[in-house]
This record gives sequence, C-alpha cells and structure tokens, in this order.
Amino acid sequence: MYEFTPIGWLKHCVFHPVEGFEDLRWKKQGSMKIAMFIVFLLFVAMVADRQLTGFQFNDNYVKIFNIVPLVVQSVVYYFTWVLGNWSICTLLDGEGTFRKIAIYSAYSLVPYIVCTFISVFLSNFLVQDESIWITAISALGLGWSIVLMIQAMKAAHQYSFSKTLASMLLTLVAMLLILFLAILLLSLFQQVYVFGYSVYTEIAYRIRG
Amino acid sequence: MLRIKKSLKRILCAGLAAAVSVTMTVSAFAAEPYESYMYDTWEDAIPSQNAYRINNVVSGSEMGLSRIQDPNDALYVEGASARLSNPKDMYLDEESQQFWIADTDNNRVLRLDMDLKVTGVYTGVFGSSEIAVGEDGESKFAAPSGVFAKKSLYTGELYLYIADYDNSRVVKATVDSERKLSLVQEYTKPDTELYSVETFNPSKIVVDFAENVYAVCTSVNTGSVQFNKEGEFQGFYGANRVEVTAKVIAQKLWRKIASNEQISGMARNVPVEYANFDIDEDGFIYTVTEAANTTTDAVKKLNPAGYNIWDNETGDEYKFGDIASEYDATQNQTYSTRLTDIVVSNNGIINVLDFATGRVFQYDRECNLLCIFGTKNSTNDQKGSFSNPNAVEAYGNNIYVIDGSKNDITVYSETTFGKIMHQAVELYDQGRYSDAKPYWEDVIKRDGGYPLAYIGLGKASLNEGEYSKALDYFETAYDQDDYDKAYKYAREDFIRDNFTVIIIVVIVIVAGLIALAQLHKRSIYVFKGRFRSKEKEGK
Repeated sequence: MYEFTPIGWLKHCVFHPVEGFEDLRWKKQGSMKIAMFIVFLLFVAMVADRQLTGFQFNDNYVKIFNIVPLVVQSVVYYFTWVLGNWSICTLLDGEGTFRKIAIYSAYSLVPYIVCTFISVFLSNFLVQDESIWITAISALGLGWSIVLMIQAMKAAHQYSFSKTLASMLLTLVAMLLILFLAILLLSLFQQVYVFGYSVYTEIAYRIRG
Repeated sequence: MLRIKKSLKRILCAGLAAAVSVTMTVSAFAAEPYESYMYDTWEDAIPSQNAYRINNVVSGSEMGLSRIQDPNDALYVEGASARLSNPKDMYLDEESQQFWIADTDNNRVLRLDMDLKVTGVYTGVFGSSEIAVGEDGESKFAAPSGVFAKKSLYTGELYLYIADYDNSRVVKATVDSERKLSLVQEYTKPDTELYSVETFNPSKIVVDFAENVYAVCTSVNTGSVQFNKEGEFQGFYGANRVEVTAKVIAQKLWRKIASNEQISGMARNVPVEYANFDIDEDGFIYTVTEAANTTTDAVKKLNPAGYNIWDNETGDEYKFGDIASEYDATQNQTYSTRLTDIVVSNNGIINVLDFATGRVFQYDRECNLLCIFGTKNSTNDQKGSFSNPNAVEAYGNNIYVIDGSKNDITVYSETTFGKIMHQAVELYDQGRYSDAKPYWEDVIKRDGGYPLAYIGLGKASLNEGEYSKALDYFETAYDQDDYDKAYKYAREDFIRDNFTVIIIVVIVIVAGLIALAQLHKRSIYVFKGRFRSKEKEGK
C-alpha cells in the first residue's frame, strides 16, 4: 500500500513514530546512501552548533576550533552505536542486520539534526530572555529522536518494548567498552611507534657516528 | 640598478632592525621582574600593560630607624634593633597621614610619616594595665601582630588599637608623644560561656565607626571576636562556611554510622578562620581567607549584620586571585592562591595580596579585575619581588606592600597606563560611560587587549544609541550579557526601520504559498521533479 521514494520513506518514518519503521522493514526499504548522508549532516549540525550559534548564546571556547572532537561526537559515536547494538543484539536474538541497524539509527537522528539547525538559526535572532524557544526546540528534537530510536531498534530486532530498552542500555555499555578498547589500542600503537622511532634513531646515530 | 636598490633596502632594513633591538634592550632594562597579565572572559591569562611600577624599596635604615639607637635622639630605645623584624601588619591612617607598622618580632609598634620616615616607636603602653608591666610602669607588647588607628567620632581623639598577640589582649591607647602611649581600654579574653576557645590570641583588628572592635583570633573559627566601645564581648561576626568537598560529604556519611568513640577520633569539619580584614568608608568589612584552593568565602564583603554580599551562591561569579594554580619549574613547586591581606582605598578600589605568589590583585568596587602586579620568585632580593608579603596598603596613586622576611616596604606607583585606567574605571563605576570614553580609548592605545576597556566603550556606545558599534565592542570583550542587551535594542531598531519591507516580504511569501496550493489542487505542479517518481511508481 505504501509506495514512496527513498526520501518519502524517510519522511514516513520520521512522521510516523509508531508504525513507520515497521513499514520500512516490511517493505524492505531504506537507503544506505541516505543514512550516510544523514550522519554527515549530523556532523555538520554539530559544527554549526559550535560555530554559527548566535554570539549571545555561544558558550563554547571559540578561541580554537578543533574538528576532531566534533567528528568523534558525531560520526564515531554513531558507528560505535551501530557496532555496539549489532554485537549486543546478535547475542540477544535480534533480527536486525548490521545494515538495517545503521539505516534505522540514522533515520531516527533526523529530528535532532533538523531541530539543531532550527535552533542555531533562531539563536541568531533571539535574545537571552527568549531563550525558552531554543531550549524548547532542542528538547523537542532530542525527545523525538529518542522516541524514534526506540521504535527503530524495536522494529529492527522485533523486540518487545522492555527488551528494546534493555538492549539499548546494554548498547551504551558496549559503546563504552569499545571506546575504552579503542583508546587502549591507540596508546599501544603510540608506544609501538615510539619504540620503532627510537630504534630508528639509534641505528641512524650508529651509522653516522 | 635594481640590484643596487635591493641591497640598499637590505642594509636599511638591517640598520632599522639593529636600532629597534637596541632600543628594546634599553626599555627592557628598566622593566619590573614580572610580566603583567590579566584574565579574559575564558579565564585565560593574557598579557597586559604594567599599571604599577616599583617606585622604591624602604628598609629600616631608609626609615631612619638608626635614630632608635642614638642616645641623644627622642626616639632612643635601649638595645633596640635598627631594622624591622618580621613585620606582620601595616595600617595607613589617611586622616592623620600616618603609617602604623606592627614590628612583630621586635615587640614594638612604629609610627611613620607619609615619606616612610619613622616618627614614633612604641614598645608598650602606660596606664592601669596589669599585663607584662616593666620596672618603669610600662606594659610591654609581646609580638604585636595587628594595628589599627582611628579618630573617634565621640571625642575627636586619635585612638591606636594594637592586637597584642602573645599578651592575649587588644590595646586601645592614645598617642601622647613619639615614645609614649596611654592606655584607654584593654580587651582581654571574654569571660563568657559563648567564648569556648581556650586561648585569646588576636592577630588582626578592625574598628568601626561606633568603635566596636573586631579581632581575628587564632583558632577561633566562628568569625571575628566583637567587642563594643565599653569593652564588653558582643559575639562573633561574619564566620566563614565550610567548603563542601567530597571529603566533607564522605565524612558526613561516616558520622551517621560511626560510634561516638570513632566520631571523637575523626577530624572535625570547621571553617577556616580568616586571615585579615579591612573596613571601608561606608562601614562594610572585607575579609580574606588564607586557605589554599578555597573557593568558598575567599574574599567577602560583609554588611553590618555579618552577611556576605559577594556570595556566589546567589548566582554571581565573583572570583579573586589566580584562577588556576601555577607550577614553577625552577622551584618544582605549585603555587595556589593564598590571599593574606585586603585593603579598600577611599575610591573603592580593592587590593588583595596573595601570599603564595606575592601578587597584588586589584579590583574595582564591582569586583572587575583591573590589574595584577608584584611577584615572588627565587631571586627575591630583586626589587619588587617578595619573600613573605604580609600586608598591603593603598594611598592615592601608591600601593605599599610590607614584607615579613625581607623586612622592608615596597612602594609601587602608578604608571601612565595605570593612571588613565583608574580614571576610566572611576567614571565607569559611577555609570558615566560617555565621560569615560576618551580614557578607555587611551587605554586601548596602550593595551589593545584590555577587556574592561571594550566593555566600557561598548556601554558608552549603547548609551549613545550606536548599537552596532556597541555590539562590536562587546564581541571583542566577549561580554555576552551586555551584547545581549545591546542586541535587543539593535533588533528593535532594525525592525522599526525596515517594518514595511518585512511586512511586504511576509505577505509575498504567504500569497505565493496560497497560490501554489491552489495550483496543486488543479493538478498543476510547479516543482515537477519531486512528484514524477511517485507517478511512475503509481503506474
């Protein structure tokens, strides 16, 4: 009964929090390209929130602009979420594939991204007394995205509501573990690099000396 | 030809560079042994101009203390030292134009004139005292560590107040001559159950207009001890609060489950007693607390009821001293602010002395940081660096800092920058923003990174209705709250000026949308691309 363009499907999912993702799953729809573009937009929204927020609302340390934390907060967190959810739900008899999880998660981020853009835009025209609008819109976006995310995971894995919540909490734990291991690995490689470099300098000195 | 020109240019450039470097070394020669800095909105230290320079350093011999050893002199004291020894307090009585110094380890109090020449030496007090009375009937001081002088509103006489630390008393005396004090009143340990501490060791004193005496006493942490004019104990005034740390909270929990024996073995959580205080023209008392890393009650402004006006818990963000503790690599030591003395001058400018780093932090009456000067480093025999900075005083354009280890007084006087800045601040604090404008502009010429100058100029522009200019200034100073105020007016102005245009644009957009909806109803699509695929799928 539902025949939409890929963008139409996205709209359907966002505006139909209860049934949208079930329909998406039933019709085997959802585009990986669009999902990746949404993740990119999430990153752009983060940058906009940091750099383009109106002066009177921008509490960020604007003296330096470092893109790495923003990439971590958007793209890396997203992929860790997908990876963590996939690993947890594989163990918990979830039906979702990696691809599905990636697409459904990205789709449910849309309200958050849109509301971030709207509040960044508004912050350039409002004064602090009217900041309630910005707070309201940000809260709306965040709340809506959380609801969508729960529905998306529920649809992806065909879980009951409580099991979805439990799996999402476990996913957060898994994300922490993944990030912890990643940092461990990073520092290990740094040590290896330092070791390799000192061996190189040692040899270089011997040859020269 | 071109080549010659080039080489000529090079020679010229080299010559200029040499000239510049020579003048630079010359100017560096006269510099202070520290770099001036300020804090910006993000609480980062930023370089600034010197607002004060070291005028001179006055030690005992320059004060004329050798007169004490001359038997023919009026100031002669038998066997007395001609140098200061661990002076702990200094007080400037602006009314009678006299400095008073508590020369603690020499057990005497010195009177100095405004040129810091000694005009009086007092080793004790004559009168009806029974404490430490010598053969000549003089009640000798023992480690006087606080001194205060005030002309009485009742009798019109100048009274000198001395915190006689080891004698456990506060002495109120009149000054008879350059060697003689007469006792008026003695304040000793209060004989009441309210005063539960075993000892009474007053270290600093302040007297208000009603001649109530406030004494900071060692190991009394419930505030300063207050006596009335008649010498009766009135109670405690303005206690500090305990800073809530994780340790304090944990101990609170342990106390709930511990037995009485265990509780008696635990350390008690008591507030830190304050180090020093001062009273301003309006009778407000300012206190400083010399505890490392304290954020609670480091500097307080107390109203007569003993409540702190500068309370951060009511939403303000008053900050005093260095914001982050500082690591000195040469000494392998970390310094964190320990505020040891405060002085409020008649124009409302507040100077706070940091014992740990030897810096004087100057604030205006709204607690805006004005400048930072002074230092403490490994080469403290250098002019302008301190070893044990104990007290600070301000008079006119000068700041006096007394050092308890180098036993001298360092006199700072205003630079041109400092003078202009103070003039601007004076007008700014009175709310005369437009009058302050030329001064702020001058300040910016000398120090382009001075945050308060931009705020001052911004407020002036705001007052004059030049909102876009004000916005620029506030943005430079990163003052969001004032920017917000200016923005409100700027926006109002913009809407008023462009009201017709805005309304027309809105009407056009609404009309366009309505027209589009009508066309869609008749299946005429203006934006075809979006709907084509739908039609295709429909087929």
